Amino acid sequence: MVRITLENITKKFGDFTALRDINLEIEDKEFMALLGPSGSGKSTLLYTIAGIYRPTRGRIYFDGRDVTNVPPKDRNVGLVFQNWALYPHMTVFENIAFPLELRKAPKDEIERKVREVAEMLRIEHLLDRHPWQLSGGQQQRVAIARALIKEPDVLLLDEPLSNLDALLRLEVRAELKRLQKELGITAVYVTHDQAEALAMADRIAVIRDGVILQVGTPDEVYYKPRCRFVGGFLGNPPMNFVEAEVEDGNLIVYGNRIPVPAHYRGIIEKLGVKEVLLGFRPHDAEIVRGRGEGLVGTVYSFEPLGREQIVTVSINGAMVKVFAPEGEHFSFGEEVTIKLHEDRVVLFDRKTEKALEFLSG
Amino acid sequence: MRDVETRPKKYGWIVILALLLASLPLITAFSLLILSSFSTHMVTDLSPGSLHPTLENWINLFHGKIATTGGIRVNIWRIALNTLIVALGVSGVVTGISALAGYSLSRIDFKGRKSMMVLLLLLHAFPGVALIVGVYLLYRLTFPVNTTFVGLYSFVYVILARAALEIPMSTWLMKGFFDTIPWEFEWSGIIDGASRITVWRKIMLPLIKPGILAVALFSFLAGWQDIIYVRTFLIDPTLATFIEANIEAEYSHMPLIAAAGTFYLLPTIIFFVTAQQILLQGYSGGIKG
Repeated sequence: MVRITLENITKKFGDFTALRDINLEIEDKEFMALLGPSGSGKSTLLYTIAGIYRPTRGRIYFDGRDVTNVPPKDRNVGLVFQNWALYPHMTVFENIAFPLELRKAPKDEIERKVREVAEMLRIEHLLDRHPWQLSGGQQQRVAIARALIKEPDVLLLDEPLSNLDALLRLEVRAELKRLQKELGITAVYVTHDQAEALAMADRIAVIRDGVILQVGTPDEVYYKPRCRFVGGFLGNPPMNFVEAEVEDGNLIVYGNRIPVPAHYRGIIEKLGVKEVLLGFRPHDAEIVRGRGEGLVGTVYSFEPLGREQIVTVSINGAMVKVFAPEGEHFSFGEEVTIKLHEDRVVLFDRKTEKALEFLSG
Repeated sequence: MRDVETRPKKYGWIVILALLLASLPLITAFSLLILSSFSTHMVTDLSPGSLHPTLENWINLFHGKIATTGGIRVNIWRIALNTLIVALGVSGVVTGISALAGYSLSRIDFKGRKSMMVLLLLLHAFPGVALIVGVYLLYRLTFPVNTTFVGLYSFVYVILARAALEIPMSTWLMKGFFDTIPWEFEWSGIIDGASRITVWRKIMLPLIKPGILAVALFSFLAGWQDIIYVRTFLIDPTLATFIEANIEAEYSHMPLIAAAGTFYLLPTIIFFVTAQQILLQGYSGGIKG
């Protein structure tokens, strides 16, 4: 139960800069996801918080206490590793008890606490087994139990679900989120899976190349991406991007003329940009058969997914993906019109790839 | 045992035959030695006529009668114990030091780490015999004045000197084993509040059991088999020096020496038969996921 403040964290490995001037506040009891592609530095940041890596520059505070030079064991953090790092030569009980044994806790207290946390994670029947006798999901619970047993102030999770199969992942995802809120523990969760981040986190920090691109609630980063990368990284399928030119209050999109969305009129006037990227999510548009007001194109392909289908439309060569209801039947090459939900449209500057509203500030 | 199944197995027997041929001289020599130990005369060819079976050699050996004539008696158990002390001593020193040094070289980023690793390889390349003059000088310089400690001193000295020859390679071997353990195990321990030495003892050592076993066995055999260092520094005889001394002695009965030689081989045979399973299988728990 602690608030984490990262101040200008820079981490270099030799000549390679893994983290560059990271500033981040993680509130008490908050579930913060560090989201980024592999090699983005998100795990490095997690290990820096844990104290395994010492930042090259910058400071880390836990509740205002400067812990930059405090060794990991005195930070009272629990860490769940991607490969869980369960000690193969110890039983589940010994694995979970290990942190307490290191603290020289009395035997009966260890016994009681291990049973408690095992019960909470529903692994009390596995205590006598060895890790290699457990399924992936069970091993993962043991790893979480071991991280929780010392009642840490901060729970750090490094892609804990990536070794589980898809169905189990969905189940554990919901449970882990519930557990974090019940315990009221500050959690930092590293993942490359945008769905995981959106589903679990209170806030998401999107990281790329050692730089935080955007921090916000799942809604904010999903609907109001600050830059093209964030829009393209979140969502499945990701945001569509189409080049467009501004011409007296209208956007020219590959020969189609649509009005500039209301929330962008003032900004475009003020900035005077001419070339933009039009971004919209696949579910923020509708497909209408035939030629009409909107973006006219032809059906390139369609992929039924059960409840809905993804239709890929070619607008004079620019490909966009749009969701359509399951009942509609399209044929290849059919002419359709895409009608955008204007208020959900995001416009990006083509050069900097930043959203226009963040360009002005 | 599993193998890729694309390889044709047809010519497997050729390989086995070739290996058998290559090891034939060794097999013959060892067979002759072992057969002689059960014979009244030395078995010098493989014709059945030259074997005159008897257990007398073994009985005499354990009674300490090393000559058929004369009254010279030695306690073979005492000699075997000396050998065992040297072998266990070398094994213990080598295993302990290389387990620590291997961990440091694998996991701790200290100054001079790279050059130390190169130096270790270089040291291994030096034959132990080449060093013996210097090692002997050191031996003389530190030789105790008080004669009651001479025996003890010679044991300690030979163990340390012989262990020093084994340590470079064993350390490399250990480092290799430590290298295979993912960092997460160590980080996990450190975050849970363990010191480096606790991590080493409680987490890393159990994970590299096969490595420890291999180093312990090989260094045990090195100590058991050594003759040059033992001959130079140890005042008491070991099996190796005992056999060596008696081969040339006038009064010695060769089949009895063959029995001593066979006795001397036993640990090697036992270790390779029993330990090869353990050495090959590795840690059964494994590192999964």
